[in-house]
Amino acid sequence: MSTGVYICHCGLNIASVLDIEELVRFAEGLPNVAVARELQFSCSDVGQETIKEDIKEGKVDRVVVAACSPRLHEPTFRCVLQDAGLNPYLLEMANIREQCSWVHMEEPALATEKAKDLIRMAVAKAELLSPLEGELMPVSRNVLVIGGGVAGISAALELANAGLHVFLVERRPTIGGYMALLTDVFPTNDCSICVLAPKMTEVYNHPLITLYTYSEILNIDGSVGNFTVSGVRRARFVDAAKCKGCINDCAGACPVEVPNEYDFGIGKRKAIYMAIPQAVPLVACIDPQACIGCGLCEEACPADAVDYEQREMAFKFDVGAIIVATGWQPFDASRKEEYGFGRYRDVISSLQVERMLNAAGPTGGEIVRPSTGEIARSVSFLQCVGSRDATVGNLYCSRICCMASLKNAQLIKEKYPEMAISIHYIDMRAGGEGYEEFYQRAQRLGIEFIRGRVAEIEETDGEIYLHYEDTLLGEYRRRKCDMAVLSIGLEPDSGAEVVGNLLGLARRTDRFFEIAHPKMRPVEAHIDGVFIAGCASGPKEIQVSIAQGGAAASKALGLLMKGEISLDPTVAYVDRDACVGCKLCEGICPGKAISVNGTAFVDEAACKGCGTCAAACPTDAIHMRLFSDEQILAQVRAATAVKGEYPFIVAFLCNWCSYAGADLAGTSRIQYPTNARIIRVMCAGRVDPSFVMEALRLGADGVLIAGCRLGECHYVVGNDQALQRVKVLKGVLEKIGLSPGRVKIIWCAASEGEIFARELEAFVEELKELGPTGTEIPQARGG
Amino acid sequence: MKLSYYPGCVAKSTGIEYDISTRSVCKALGVELEEIIDWNCCGATHCSNETLAVGLSARVMARAENPIMTSCSICYSNLRIAALRLEDKHLRDRVNSLLDSPYSSADVRHVLEVIMESMDEDSVAVPLNGMKIAPYYGCLLTRPPGGLDSPENPQILERFITLLGGESVVHPCRMLCCGGPIFMSQEEASSRSAFQILRAAKSAGAEAVVTACPLCHLMLDAMQRSIESRYKEEIGLPVLYVTQLAGIALGLGLEELALDKNSVSPLALVEGINASVNI
Repeated sequence: MSTGVYICHCGLNIASVLDIEELVRFAEGLPNVAVARELQFSCSDVGQETIKEDIKEGKVDRVVVAACSPRLHEPTFRCVLQDAGLNPYLLEMANIREQCSWVHMEEPALATEKAKDLIRMAVAKAELLSPLEGELMPVSRNVLVIGGGVAGISAALELANAGLHVFLVERRPTIGGYMALLTDVFPTNDCSICVLAPKMTEVYNHPLITLYTYSEILNIDGSVGNFTVSGVRRARFVDAAKCKGCINDCAGACPVEVPNEYDFGIGKRKAIYMAIPQAVPLVACIDPQACIGCGLCEEACPADAVDYEQREMAFKFDVGAIIVATGWQPFDASRKEEYGFGRYRDVISSLQVERMLNAAGPTGGEIVRPSTGEIARSVSFLQCVGSRDATVGNLYCSRICCMASLKNAQLIKEKYPEMAISIHYIDMRAGGEGYEEFYQRAQRLGIEFIRGRVAEIEETDGEIYLHYEDTLLGEYRRRKCDMAVLSIGLEPDSGAEVVGNLLGLARRTDRFFEIAHPKMRPVEAHIDGVFIAGCASGPKEIQVSIAQGGAAASKALGLLMKGEISLDPTVAYVDRDACVGCKLCEGICPGKAISVNGTAFVDEAACKGCGTCAAACPTDAIHMRLFSDEQILAQVRAATAVKGEYPFIVAFLCNWCSYAGADLAGTSRIQYPTNARIIRVMCAGRVDPSFVMEALRLGADGVLIAGCRLGECHYVVGNDQALQRVKVLKGVLEKIGLSPGRVKIIWCAASEGEIFARELEAFVEELKELGPTGTEIPQARGG
Repeated sequence: MKLSYYPGCVAKSTGIEYDISTRSVCKALGVELEEIIDWNCCGATHCSNETLAVGLSARVMARAENPIMTSCSICYSNLRIAALRLEDKHLRDRVNSLLDSPYSSADVRHVLEVIMESMDEDSVAVPLNGMKIAPYYGCLLTRPPGGLDSPENPQILERFITLLGGESVVHPCRMLCCGGPIFMSQEEASSRSAFQILRAAKSAGAEAVVTACPLCHLMLDAMQRSIESRYKEEIGLPVLYVTQLAGIALGLGLEELALDKNSVSPLALVEGINASVNI
């Protein structure tokens, strides 16, 4: 084995603080180092060529670059190795710029000593690196889209038009989702179904879309590229091949009337029904709960399509990616008991008013007061019902209700100019293209805007009264109105829980599905090959849901287009002889990549390489292909070989937040003490308690573990697991007589360089108080 | 059933009829009460200092050997708030460091709950004969949420009245503030609130109001005369504690229920009920 060490000047960025010549001499003396060179700019063409030549001439077969952060140039140097014919994973970097020269500008001598340690650590790890190959895996080029609302429809069409086969699964008898039930839509006030229906038909007719309506997904196995999906299509009791969609004959004959859920309870439908006139597929459906089995529809049907013997049908198919577009469900307004929804007839929901305004709806487009059947003379809209409300557990803004009420108020005002209309709001939120103008238009139409959440609705002698404080006037008011419309918020669809559990999707505290990054990865789930679009990840207006459907489709397309994917080789694997099948790893794996059947098995396509399983495994049966126990322990030993400073700290920093935060301290030139030797791990959850114990055993005065802020872990919960382990570890230290204060865990975001620096400073002071490691043990003091 | 009884301060002074009737009704229903020894204020008087208020309640609850029953809505609410706050270990440790016997947990009930659990139609000796009664909840009987009924649309008083054979009248002010908390500082506003409640009950046809809170009772009953003169409107509506109303239906005597202590006398009303039974 011959390692080449390349020490970068980075112009003066490194060389102005560190003694490069000294570092080169030092590196030359390290075991297995065949070549040690200084380079002006290692990332420049000249620098890269120097490394390539050494490799090609057979002088080196391991490369250590001591330069900037690996977060910046690790990909660059991996390419250098690859170009020169060496496996790219035989590279290790020592971060002597962001985490050394830039943060210890006033301490050149100590900084040079720290750089020596960092190089020694990198060389020690490099010796243990092994070549890794990212396997190519063939993938299915089919995509499953769950949910046939506007987001799912948009995703399905994008994919099918690009040539991928799509399976679209919808729970209800028709696709179209809530958008198909709305009247006109903001901010253009065009007819909702008129713009949606052509898309629904396109889905139905598309040769590359297989549509499963009235269907449920029961199981999903496999991982990215190769999921197997199974489910059932429920019985409609109507033969889809024969039904002509005329509906009047069968429904006309049916004697059973039930409240129509597609009118949110204000209209009625028969036991045999069509959800909406524009249903896709245009096939009737018998509600088995309502049907009395009289046989009249069967007699009435001119096409002999009614089939009482129809049974549910199982389906199964393979897909390479999954788009979750499970949408939302309305907040149950009766939970806000003070508004009397369900008790007072003239209190209705915003969805009910949508149906009233719909020309094809139960009132034929008229705003009818339920208690009297007459046209209402005054209507009040109550905003934020079930949103921004801790009393019902929904702290979030539902985002669409302000605009929806502005729209409905306008539609009503245009139809009935004499009607008194008020909107009771906390804040009017009209952020979006053309939204503010839409708000102003409502104001010009004479709609009254009253700031203040309504406290309660009173019903006396059949009349309803709102009680509220007008917070602009600072006065309490009681206002009579013919009808109150509760602008109900959006909640995640409760039926989506099954899909979420099958896929192992994480949920935010608001119960919507969590996306991989709240800003940078808006349509990706934490699980590879799974994408989320529309309201499944939070309330959204139609145009955003459509955009997300398209974005999710293009992500799936990018993944599957080539027909094969290259797997990241830096994953976990199991030593089956050592595994005792305790299943601990199965429970903690945030990616659901581990299954235990006798012994554990890691699905390498699903593993993301965080390593929290390896840290948790009680028999050390799980290994990481990179960041292995041996490599990290070698770094620990190399770090503590000299201990040229007091207090001496070994620090484990997670790649995504705290290591990046430490880099930011460097780029911001925030100065902090030189006492720490930093070891990069993918996740704080990777830190095995044995690493900490080894560092302390070898004389480190303290061990710092830094992770992403709680709730922001790149692997969802790795930092929580690290915290648990540190708590236990502190107890162990106490038992063996060491101060628990020698281990410290901190949270540091990638933007928090200052916090990292200050935490490190504080830790140095704390350790000075404690004294050198071991002095708290009486025997060690010679007492 | 054996309960630790926490009367609270009002029941020992201006609201003595609540204490007397509570004891009588519980006895009639076979509920054994054991008054908590050396009890103190629930903390209502120290609402500006949360820790102190919680500490006072914690001391009371720590002294109880059985599930606690109180008749006062304010005490009921304060004990429950304290129990919720004391789930925080940090605060619990802080409070316990000051107490002789530490607080661990508590089961707090209101007398109305206890009556509803222990009484059925068979125990109603003197049905109220359709007497029209306005339920009045006030604010604290149902708060914080998670207690004997929903804070926004409670029904327990309506069920209570119906069980006793009365007719629960519907009026819009059953949960409007009685004005009690601002009675000293904002007398006019507080009187207006109480007046609104009494008038709503009266115009809904009520012959009496039933309440579960001594402060509400003070505002609606003891203050009724002064409200009548302030607003120059005769009201004359007896206001009964839940325990008094339950006692009447159980056939208990006037003294056992201390009905003579009410400011607006309910005696005529009670005679009417008893007369209807004798016929």
